[in-house]
Amino acid sequence: MDHIPGAAAGQDGDFDPRQAAALLDQVTVQARRTFTPLTPLLWIFRAFIALAVFGGCWLSVRGEHPYTGHIGGWVPALAVVLVIVNIGWTAVVIAHAGDGVSGPAQRKWHAWLGVMAVAWIIAYGVTAPLYHAAAAHPVWGLYPASAPLLIIGVAGAAIAAAFRYWPLTGTTLAFAVVAAAAGFGGPAGSWLIMGIGLCAACLGTAAFTAWRQNRGVVRP
Amino acid sequence: MTAELDPLIHVPTRLRIVATLAALPDGDALSFTRLQDMLGLTPGNLIIQLRKLEEAGYLSSEKTRTGSAQKTTVALTARGRTALAAYTRALRDLLGGLDEDGRAVPAARTAVTPPAAPGGC
Repeated sequence: MDHIPGAAAGQDGDFDPRQAAALLDQVTVQARRTFTPLTPLLWIFRAFIALAVFGGCWLSVRGEHPYTGHIGGWVPALAVVLVIVNIGWTAVVIAHAGDGVSGPAQRKWHAWLGVMAVAWIIAYGVTAPLYHAAAAHPVWGLYPASAPLLIIGVAGAAIAAAFRYWPLTGTTLAFAVVAAAAGFGGPAGSWLIMGIGLCAACLGTAAFTAWRQNRGVVRP
Repeated sequence: MTAELDPLIHVPTRLRIVATLAALPDGDALSFTRLQDMLGLTPGNLIIQLRKLEEAGYLSSEKTRTGSAQKTTVALTARGRTALAAYTRALRDLLGGLDEDGRAVPAARTAVTPPAAPGGC
């Protein structure tokens, strides 16, 4: 645990205002870090996932002429591993941040998480029947690249805005915008746009979250 | 010097309690055990400080019983948030009037001393 300025100071009389300001800033920053469920480090990891998985897909399909949408064997395996790690890490940080916390905001947060889980399952679940129905290759190639994140982004932004989670609204809206833009990138190019765009959105969120956590209340 | 600072908050332990609870969204509560873990206080000391803050209306506590286990949660009230905001403003005002050594800056000196010209001329 970091040294808390003034923590050892006596009661009442000898508590200097500068010590009080430093203590207030430090305790506030520590509490924000403890209660923030989606940490900057997690967002950086998600940026890496986006770049590795979508970039890997682009590397795999960019040489296809004509485009078949076939993705090399190592990319899905890497995606599965990284997504499992992401889900596990997210569950751990959310559980840690919410440990001992109760109330209306906590219930709203759990509702948002539930809706997002359903959105992820539906958006990516559609790829299975699409594949089974032997959809045309360009459709098969384009849908998994951008459509799921467009659905997830729009759904996430709408609910985050309704709950007044403005930073999450920005992030999920950025996901939707990137996915919409990727739709114009062509079958192979859409993977690259998604990788770079999502990576930038996640890094931006990481930077914003870190800034929000670390600004002081007395000395912003 | 500390006349403008709320004496109930202007105590290291109570300031840490109030600042920690203020980091939660409005209306959310924290369990006694988690608060104790975060602050590293003994149960006895924490109870004494919480009682003082509760008597002033700065926080509310709720006891729930699940089977044989009893759980206590504490939350900052609207009055507590207002008091912390006022305390923070008072600190800012005080620090704005102190020099690097913590001495009060004489108002006359700041008023009379002309501002330095841009570029140091």
